[in-house]
Order: sequence, then structure tokens, then C-alpha cells
Amino acid sequence: MRVIPYILFLLLVGMHVVFLRDVTSIYGVSPDLPILIVLLVALYKNDTVATWFGFAVGLVAFAALPERFGWYALLMAAVAFAACQVRERLNLESLKAKLLLVAGGVLLHGILIQLIDTAGSLAALWTLVPAVTVYTTVIAWLFFLFKEGTITFEKTKSIF
Amino acid sequence: MTFVFGGDQIASRVSGVVVGAFHYPFFMIRNTFVELSRVNQENQRLQQELVEFSTRFSRFEEMERENVRLRAILGFDPPAGYSLVPAKVISIAGDLVPTAAIINCGLNDSVEVDQPLINEQGLIGRVVTVASDVATVQLLTDPAHRVAVRIANSRDMGIAKFKPSQGMILDNVPVQANIKEGDLVVSSGLGGIYPPGLVVGTVVSVSRSEEEPFCDVHLETAADFNSLEELFILGMDEP
Repeated sequence: MRVIPYILFLLLVGMHVVFLRDVTSIYGVSPDLPILIVLLVALYKNDTVATWFGFAVGLVAFAALPERFGWYALLMAAVAFAACQVRERLNLESLKAKLLLVAGGVLLHGILIQLIDTAGSLAALWTLVPAVTVYTTVIAWLFFLFKEGTITFEKTKSIF
Repeated sequence: MTFVFGGDQIASRVSGVVVGAFHYPFFMIRNTFVELSRVNQENQRLQQELVEFSTRFSRFEEMERENVRLRAILGFDPPAGYSLVPAKVISIAGDLVPTAAIINCGLNDSVEVDQPLINEQGLIGRVVTVASDVATVQLLTDPAHRVAVRIANSRDMGIAKFKPSQGMILDNVPVQANIKEGDLVVSSGLGGIYPPGLVVGTVVSVSRSEEEPFCDVHLETAADFNSLEELFILGMDEP
């Protein structure tokens, strides 16, 4: 297992927690980049890698909350494992299926986070969580379009 | 999350390591940008303050100069029978030398045509037109202007006028007149516009020719017509 890409992903999560979240915020809604990265790894790697990586991402993303970050790490690992199981059992070759998995994973993660978080409010379940899910899914959609070559830098440059 | 890490202390240590490894570098980057932004904002604020203080300082300097001028004017007595009405020059007309000025007093201030104007240096001119709030002053440096004058010591008389090519000259002074460089020239009171004794200038050169009946006399005006600001209208006191 090449470790460096995963360390870079973890650094990206750290950057997201420190300032990328604020920079990308639209009306208080930021993309859930940690779970998106975990789900993308779950889509392309096996369940062991995805689960451990999910756990590590959970630690990095919630390191500022030492009293609960273990729970969050386990939750992230569980979501990653579940995503791997879904991917193995269903045909996820199409873009829509992948997006559906990402959206479902982000939504599930958001709901569980709100339930675990003692400071979280239930109202966030139908306001913040769906908005975060949509925002994150849009980013995932752009990622898949780039990955599949539908959008390329050359095509983007030719527009301008 | 004690069951994962075995205790709060271990959880705190793990948290510290993770934060140090994955958060701290980005905290440093973010803090650098925040600090740069703060410094930039402070820089802009200081530049704005600098402009503000610079403007204020210029104003204070101007007030200081005005203060010096006004102190010089204090203790300046009008001729007997006249009172002083202060006026400020709001505009100057003339190509090479100023020939007319507009002052901020008019009919509302009881200004009348032909009233003389002076400053602490000497005679300036006379009012030629008056509107409700402003008046036009014909300056001594207007070539069409004439003042009946007298040499202060010798009492010889002449006509002071301004020629663009020669400057202020004294006309009609006979060659036998007792006049020399440095003599003070004052208004004679003849002509009825200017009261006697107002300083017009000093003689800077006198040349006599045996063929000519009159001297060629050049004057330097007492007032500096290029820096007129505060003037006084000489108003006749009520009997």
C-alpha cells in the first residue's frame, strides 16, 4: 500500500478543518470533505484500506475534540466499511450510482454526527445536513467528471 | 472515547500528535494570512490617517501664517475720520500682474463705490462696482488707475500710475523737485477718493534730463499685489 497519497489526503483533511471549511463556506454551509475523501477511497480501494483510512480521517477531522474523536473515528470507519460493502454488492459503474452512494454516505454521516454531537440540534437534520449533502455531492460530481475525462483542463481552457 | 484509546490521557496525547502533525502547519499558514490581512488593513488605516493628519497639519500651518498676518494688522490705525471694514479677497483678475480683485463684502456691508482699500502695507485700490455680497476693487496696478500723491518729506506732488512695461511710476514731477531714492510716497488727498497720508510706495530710482521738464521716477509699491488676502475698506465715519 502506497502510504504517501493517504498522508496527503489526511493533510488535505487537516487543511479543510483549519481553513478550507471557512473558505468554501456558502451561507454557513461547507462541503463535508473528510467523508467525501473517505467515500472516494471506499469506492476505489478494498474494505480494509477504506476502513483504516476512514478511522484515520476521523481522528484528523475531529482531533480538536479529544473526548469524542474516537467515536467520530469509529463512525467514519463504519461509514467507509459500509460504503465498501455496498460497492461490492451493487453495480456502481454508472456516474449516478456513484453519486447516489456519495450522497447517501454524506447524508448518513451527517445524521449520525448530529445525533452523537451533544451540542448539535435536531433542526440541523433537515436544514444543515441536506444542504451539506447537496454541496458535497456537487463536488463529488465535478470530481467524477474530471476522473472520467468528461471535463478536462484542455476543455475548460478552450471555453475561455 | 476511552475504550478506543484506553484513557483520557492517551486520547489527549493522540489528539495532540494528530493536531501537531495535520493541523498545526495549516494553522501557521492561516495565521500568516490573517496577520498579513491585518497588517494590510492597518497599513491602509495608517495611510488614511497620514493623509488626514497631513491635511490637518497644512491647515494649521496656514492658520499660523494667517495668525502672523493678523497680528501684524493689529495695531494698524485707520486715518482720522475713517473706520476699517475688514474684507477678504476671493478672486484676483489680471494677466501678468493683478489688476482687479473681488472681495467678500458688498452692499449688505455698506460698501460703496470709490471707497479706498488698504492693508497693513499700504494703499491697495478702490471699489469700482458693488453687488449685494461682493465688490470689485480696481488695484493700483491697473494701468487705467491714477493716484494723486505727494513725496512725504519734500511735499512735492505727482501722479502715481502703473505701466506694464515700466512698473509703478510717478508722473508730473518737475525736475527741480527735491526727490531722491528711498523717499516715501503717500496719497495727497487730491482727487477726493483717497484720504491724504496713505502709503503708496517708495522711490526706487530718479532720473533727470535737462531737455525734459519732468523727472523720470520709478516707485516700488508698498503693498505686495501678488499676495493679497485680508484687506480693509476705508469707510467714512458718520459726522
